[in-house]
Amino acid sequence: MPSVLGIYDQPGPAAKVARRLKNRGYQKLEVYSPAAFHELLYAVHDKPSKVRWWTLIGGLTGVVTGYAMPIWMASDWPIMIGGKPFSSIPVYTIIGFELTILFGGLATLFGLLVVGKLPYGSFGKTDKAYSARFSAEEFGVVVECRDRDVAEVDALLRAHDAKEVTLVEG
Amino acid sequence: MSPPPAMPVAESMRPVRPPVDSKINRDILRVMEGTSAGYWLLLAAAMGSVGLAGGLWAWMVYQGLGVAGYTHPIFWGVFIVTFVFWIGIAHAGTLISAILYLFRAKWRNAINRSAEAMTVFAVLTAAQFLGIHVGRMWKAYFILPYPNQRGLWVNFKSPLMWDTFAVSTYATISIVFFYVGLIPDLAIARDRATGWRKLLYAALALGWQGTTLQWKSHSRSVLHLSGLATPLVLSVHSVVSWDFAMSLVPGWHATIFAPYFVAGAIFSGFAMVLTVMIPVRRIYRLEAYITDYHFENMARFMLLTSLIVGYSYVAEYFVAWYSGFEPEQTAFWMRAFGPYWISTWVMISCNCIFPQLFWFKRLRTHIPTLFVISSLINVGMWFERYVIIITGLSREYDPAVWGVYTPSWMELCILAGSFGFFSMFFLLFLKVFPVIAITELKELAIHDKNHDESVHGGWAEAYGEVDD
Repeated sequence: MPSVLGIYDQPGPAAKVARRLKNRGYQKLEVYSPAAFHELLYAVHDKPSKVRWWTLIGGLTGVVTGYAMPIWMASDWPIMIGGKPFSSIPVYTIIGFELTILFGGLATLFGLLVVGKLPYGSFGKTDKAYSARFSAEEFGVVVECRDRDVAEVDALLRAHDAKEVTLVEG
Repeated sequence: MSPPPAMPVAESMRPVRPPVDSKINRDILRVMEGTSAGYWLLLAAAMGSVGLAGGLWAWMVYQGLGVAGYTHPIFWGVFIVTFVFWIGIAHAGTLISAILYLFRAKWRNAINRSAEAMTVFAVLTAAQFLGIHVGRMWKAYFILPYPNQRGLWVNFKSPLMWDTFAVSTYATISIVFFYVGLIPDLAIARDRATGWRKLLYAALALGWQGTTLQWKSHSRSVLHLSGLATPLVLSVHSVVSWDFAMSLVPGWHATIFAPYFVAGAIFSGFAMVLTVMIPVRRIYRLEAYITDYHFENMARFMLLTSLIVGYSYVAEYFVAWYSGFEPEQTAFWMRAFGPYWISTWVMISCNCIFPQLFWFKRLRTHIPTLFVISSLINVGMWFERYVIIITGLSREYDPAVWGVYTPSWMELCILAGSFGFFSMFFLLFLKVFPVIAITELKELAIHDKNHDESVHGGWAEAYGEVDD
């Protein structure tokens, strides 16, 4: 199937056209953007990113580990230090705090990789529709459609002020 | 009804024009191009000092810490002073990247990348000193809680243990934060580089293409990392301060230590960012991106933190006097008028008196003044840690064990080597990674191009043109 690529100067029209195309049933849709724009982030995938679950679970694992590890270690070979209880919660709060952040941060990184599907594609290659202009200051909306829909997609892309529209060979 | 023919439509479409690169890309990526003789000279000097320090360190490992001037009663000398100093420097990056991000302070965009890089390099530098200070550094891993044949575990009630967790967490998270922020910019560099750089950026950019899914998970990750790094940056220097405050040494055992150290860390971090970025901006002609407005904002931050640090100095003296506890009173008297009076007065003048010049807008925006004062603050903050650590240990409770410590030439060479270590990484960073967060600048620039929409959140706000 061919893909049609529309090029835009602003995130607003790119987001609008992406939303309309999606509503019309074009599911194989991608938007390339040189920076993060709020309107674009929700145009194609409207649910909040699942990275938040990664952070939450990572952080919770960290806080549990941060308390459990010193408590277990202090009771595995109990040595009285400074007359403090073996399971000295206020003191272990520091370890719990640091490990919450360590595990939460690392889980966020893995979440970014898993949810954002990175590393993407094969090494050194990009999508056919992608070009260096999308890491300059332009936006690209690329839609995969049947041959007979090309005219409609083309008209839609142009109706939203596309600077140019091209056919990307599928 | 038959479908419309595909080919005539395709023929009517124009082919893609050769890509037009944006000015921001060209301006920032230009920093990485070419190297002058001066650059190589600086890099050679930095590497040379690292080499010298490394050689001396190897000799010290062979001979023992005695050759570094460690002697009774001072066993925490210049190495620990320098460790705390570099950990402090590391605080500006995360403050700018995480806290100012959460506060939506747009002006951070000009400096966050370089400040984050400095954070990573400063933590790496500081970490060297833990190894150097322990002497028998092949046993340094004993501090980690790993299962061993002795069946013993580490003591989690020791502040040194907390420090291990705080510093290693900080190092890991600041590297993650730095890298995650770099990914989109690495893709920009990948699309424009050739040769070995193309390979490097292609590997590091992870196939980034700026798709909505990628941006969405990226923005969310940056938000969460900021949320995690904000309490972390406040905790790290608090934990470092507890290395001292949890002991009973006069002059150390104070509850004010945590906020006092955190304010000092941010103070010195901003000073280091200014000291480094003023020459970088001039050499690489980045005046359009890092403006006087940014430097002025940093000067304001330094003024604020200087006042907090000054207040802490006063509070320390007041509490020592008010405690009615003689060893504490003596410790502080000796600090100002004892054998270390020079260090104390250098610290007070560099950290509290000179920064008061920043009350004047003319001086805040006068670049040579900024450079001189920020350099003086770096000196003052090193002396602050010197004063706290050395005066505390040199006069504890029993006058029979008092002593005077002077740093040996060896320690000072290793201190110089730490600056070389930091500079070496920073110089390499200038040539390998984009020195300003390009995609974040573009967000502002593209917003501004669209005059129909509100300019709120645009370039004008980030560059302080709304106020004027």
